[in-house]
Amino acid sequence: MLARRVRTQWALLATLLLLVTIGATLVGTCTLLVTRTAGQALRLAATGAPAADVATTVYTVNVDGPGAASVAADTRTALTTALAPFPVAITVRAASRMRSLPGRTEAAGATPETYLSGISDLPARAVLTSGRWPRAVDGRAPVETVVLESTARQLDLAPGRRVRLGAERSVDAAPALDVTVVGIARPRPGTGWERDPLTGAGYDAVVDNGTPDQTAPVYGPFLADLDTLLTSGSAMARLEVTAHPDLTGATLPDLHSAAAGVAGADRRLSAVYGDRVQVHRVDARLPPTLQRARDQQQVAAAVVLAVAVLGCALAATALVLAGRLTAGVRAGETTLMTALGVSRGQFAAAAAVEAGVLAVLAAAVAVPASAALHAGLTHLPPLAGSGLAVGPGTNGSHLAAVTGGALLLASVLVILAVRPGGSAGGRRTRTEMLARSGADLLLVAFAAVGWWQLNGQPTGATTRADAVRVVAPALVLTAGAALVLRVVPPVLRGLDRLARRARGLAFPLAAFEAARRPHAVAAGLLVGLACAVSTFGVAFDATWERAQRDQADLAVGTDLAVAVSGAPGPGDGAAIAAATGGTVSPATDRGIPIGQWTGGAGEPPRLIATDTRPARDLLRGRLDSGDTWAGVGAVLAPTTRVTGVTVPAGAEVRIRGRATGGLPVVVSPRLLMQDDTGMRSICTGPRTPLDGRTYRLPDCATAGGRQLVAVELPVALAEPISFDDAPTSDIAVTLTVPGTSAATAWTATSVAPAPERLGRPGVAVTRAGAGTRLALTAKNVQFSGPEEAARTLVATAFADPGPVPVAMSARLADELGTGRGAELSLLVGTTPVAATVATVLPAVPSAPGAPGVLADVDTLSRALIVNGELAFPLDAWWVGNPATADAAARATALHLGTVTTRAAENARLIGSPPRAGQSSAVRLLVLAAALLLLVGIVLHVHSDLQVRAVELARLRALGVTRREIRTTLLGQHAGVLLPLVAAGAVVGWFATRAVTPLMIRSESGAAAVPAVLPHWPWADQAVLIAVLLAACTLAVAAVVAAQTRRADAAYLRVAP
Amino acid sequence: MSGDRAAGPLLSVRDVHRRFGSGPTAVQALRDVSFDVGTGSMVAVVGRSGSGKTTLLNVVGGLDSPDTGTVVVDGTEVTALDDDGLAGLRRRTVAYVFQTFGLIPVLSAAENVGVPLRLARVPVREREQRVARLLDLVGLAEHARQRPDELSGGQQQRVAIARALAASPKLLIADEPTGQLDAETGLAVMALLRGVVEAENVAVLVSTHDPVMMALADRVLRMHDGQIHEQEAP
Repeated sequence: MLARRVRTQWALLATLLLLVTIGATLVGTCTLLVTRTAGQALRLAATGAPAADVATTVYTVNVDGPGAASVAADTRTALTTALAPFPVAITVRAASRMRSLPGRTEAAGATPETYLSGISDLPARAVLTSGRWPRAVDGRAPVETVVLESTARQLDLAPGRRVRLGAERSVDAAPALDVTVVGIARPRPGTGWERDPLTGAGYDAVVDNGTPDQTAPVYGPFLADLDTLLTSGSAMARLEVTAHPDLTGATLPDLHSAAAGVAGADRRLSAVYGDRVQVHRVDARLPPTLQRARDQQQVAAAVVLAVAVLGCALAATALVLAGRLTAGVRAGETTLMTALGVSRGQFAAAAAVEAGVLAVLAAAVAVPASAALHAGLTHLPPLAGSGLAVGPGTNGSHLAAVTGGALLLASVLVILAVRPGGSAGGRRTRTEMLARSGADLLLVAFAAVGWWQLNGQPTGATTRADAVRVVAPALVLTAGAALVLRVVPPVLRGLDRLARRARGLAFPLAAFEAARRPHAVAAGLLVGLACAVSTFGVAFDATWERAQRDQADLAVGTDLAVAVSGAPGPGDGAAIAAATGGTVSPATDRGIPIGQWTGGAGEPPRLIATDTRPARDLLRGRLDSGDTWAGVGAVLAPTTRVTGVTVPAGAEVRIRGRATGGLPVVVSPRLLMQDDTGMRSICTGPRTPLDGRTYRLPDCATAGGRQLVAVELPVALAEPISFDDAPTSDIAVTLTVPGTSAATAWTATSVAPAPERLGRPGVAVTRAGAGTRLALTAKNVQFSGPEEAARTLVATAFADPGPVPVAMSARLADELGTGRGAELSLLVGTTPVAATVATVLPAVPSAPGAPGVLADVDTLSRALIVNGELAFPLDAWWVGNPATADAAARATALHLGTVTTRAAENARLIGSPPRAGQSSAVRLLVLAAALLLLVGIVLHVHSDLQVRAVELARLRALGVTRREIRTTLLGQHAGVLLPLVAAGAVVGWFATRAVTPLMIRSESGAAAVPAVLPHWPWADQAVLIAVLLAACTLAVAAVVAAQTRRADAAYLRVAP
Repeated sequence: MSGDRAAGPLLSVRDVHRRFGSGPTAVQALRDVSFDVGTGSMVAVVGRSGSGKTTLLNVVGGLDSPDTGTVVVDGTEVTALDDDGLAGLRRRTVAYVFQTFGLIPVLSAAENVGVPLRLARVPVREREQRVARLLDLVGLAEHARQRPDELSGGQQQRVAIARALAASPKLLIADEPTGQLDAETGLAVMALLRGVVEAENVAVLVSTHDPVMMALADRVLRMHDGQIHEQEAP
């Protein structure tokens, strides 16, 4: 029978085969996206990751001198073994314990210190400015060293100088050591000098060395050959061994093996080190990098699987339509066979055989077709841009999915073949209508439950591609399409009523046919669902892209951010401004405790502070509820700018002071210099005795345009006194600055934690020739208690700003149970800062989803200063509206830190290899929906016209012209098609609003921040609907034209 | 062959040949057929299945074209008309009644009857009045709103006749109008057709196997193997 049908019904069977093939091909392509492409994306995510993201570093602290070399060697071996089979490049950085630096006289008798350091790839991290790099020497010869320029300048060193380094400052100290300076070098920015004890500055006058003396000036490092250092007998305060695996050509199993290896390295190293190392820690970046990629991949897989389910639902609907038409075509044959005694079981068996053959044939076509389609997709954006282009290929999952999908879809035909036939005359019985209503209600109920479950997803990270996220979109769209089918008949009945009063025939007859002919539910559902799915797909894609942009905007918080990786330099702001040409501001971005609350789950509240005066230009991120960044900035920004004493470049600041009571009082002056960007740098002077003599402070104005905005004078005694004594003194210190001051209203404060120890702080600003004189005074300075007890006078060019106004994130407000007007205490470093909540925002720039506060960095800095913390809270530089296209590259070239831009972050989010597949899948779904719609329309119209061929011929016999018949038929089908397409678009719009925001998650699987706003791209949707209508109209017109030619009156001669 | 009216026949068929197919399987459906039909007469065409009755009716109504010969209806040579001309002929001059009734399923009885009037763009009020009168004529006034599948076969055929008469044609062609009806219903339909001839003064060319129909006809054309073998008065 099947063979006979192939001959007589080949067109019908070919259509069925085409539909099953389309569905199976879509399933196969999606399967390849979540298996083959996903695996490759995971591999690319690892191999393409920055070296730092796959490196493993072992940090060891306090390594015994004799064991240093063996510890380094054992660490190398352990890391090389753990990362096998990948070749590994090892870098080592070592810093010795502090040694005294004899022969160096410091003010107030402080004992200077120094240290040795060894870096395995030193030439890559520093530039030699004179001399040569150090070489390995044997144990008897002085160790060859290189010193940094700043160290050389401070210690007056030059190549050839021999320096004796004192003994280590520890128990079991290594003895003194002679070194020879063979070269002078300058640190290369961005090459890890932040890991140096002095962050590559070469000198720090006040370093807390943990000894009873508490602080000491430190010079260094003396950079030696690494192996020489490790065998010199010096104990290592820090020894870092970093392994950089070369992942070129890595396979997934190898990556997983290496990740497991480094994850277990900590335990193995503990056994290897024994007592040689006091503390060690392994920082393995490869496992979290792989995990992040896997999370992203699973988030994307949920969307791809949802696409596959939607595609299957569409293909199944098309097959239901085709199956019913097939049953109609075979109705006569079925009646005859039933009359001849063929049982229902035999019909089912025949249908199963036919469906099985169709499934096998469809799978045979769909396997290579989906492989080719997948390969084609990977050569198009965004997959191609992510480096995921591959040739056609298959795997076991692909074969199984295609075969299973084809069998599943073909089984629809079996069900339709054995279901009881419809009622006579094409009209539905009451039972059938009730069944349809019940099915619709059930579908709506399932859709509601699916949406409810989707809506109830946790906001936290969840990457599981669960059934809800996969099935809910299909349920909502199918239920919507089923519901709108109920809306179309009343519309058509309205047309029917209008048509009755018309005079002509063509359009009224079209209206009658459209309104009264028993509607093929499957055809209507297919049109509505296909249109809903395709519009939903377009909107999902647009919404996803916009959501990534919104997330990128908020995640970066500005147009370009430079996360500072080393000690900030006084000219950094100017350099960034010159490189980028935009609005530049120093920024704070760090975790802080708020009051007693330190956050939950390792997520401390974030403090974001930047210049909020140009907030419109500087801050980015979508603000809902009508707020603007300019408005937020206006609430947070201080009313006046700080204006201090303008200090010319190279100007010499002098200090002179006296103390009453004959006490050896010293101050360690710190001058706060402000540049054009608002950044404030500390210029630290040496401990200066208040003996009436004038001392010069070192280069505090290295460039022009700097302003002195604050002075800190920690007051102490040069020599310890008995705790029984309680001497006091009045001090008077004069700073002479060769610059002019626009403001004279300076404020003096005795800062926390013991303001009572320094009474009546005062400051007076007067002109002194071409300069400015700051007279700082204090009365009754109490020297009781320990020497280092705080007695600090701070003079500022501004008044105490009071509580810092902050904008609080909604999450923080929620977690603290506070809101606008609330008083907070922000602990910045160790300095508490009072703050008041000026407004509550959905999220804070650069801290999406985190509990956080946004403040003005100037106000914050002022509050810190008046609380005794002069250090500017600099963590990053923010740039708004960069003037040059290559601003990011130019900023990167400054080597000040990691550069991030909104555009780059957006590109990363969209083009991330593990996520790139989902856009391709969605676009494929739109195409598949359009194709299935076309095939279904052609099938339906062709079948309809075949059934009505005699009727058309009779119309011709009544005198209806071909043109009128064409008009009637086109009008009839357009009358049905147009409202269905419009209704489908409405369903797509509704699903976009209801489902899309819940489906789109962040790359970690958590709810996206800011919340996803559904986006309906009107222009794209208009084009899509126009194309769908045009294609359908063309297809219908072609079929109608063919049928009209065939259904001439002469057809009556051969018609039954 | 002779005309039925002194003013000339309404229908004149001359030397019509029609052949289907080619080669050995070719079928000569009509061979040298000639006859006339006058206004207000009812002519029955009888013959076995395949004798060429339906082909003859299709050629007369312009549904098919003869290979040779001419067909003139009301002074218009049907064989010379193009597609639009034929459509116009069917709208104004010739009407059909099919064996299978040929009603449009989605239209009510009244709407089916009104189709030719819509084609002629008759004003709505006038159309409704004419439809009502015709349905009354065929005895189906109370079934005006019913659809074909709600009517019996005889009722459907009466609706078809009413529709055929709607545009006041001069020639009504009925192809086996009682072929799907039982004897009693067929007789009623035939009586209706006969009455129409009298009431509307139209010519009716009807193909039939029904002896009763033959008895009601003014003339009978007997067809055999594509030829008219005899013409006899009832």
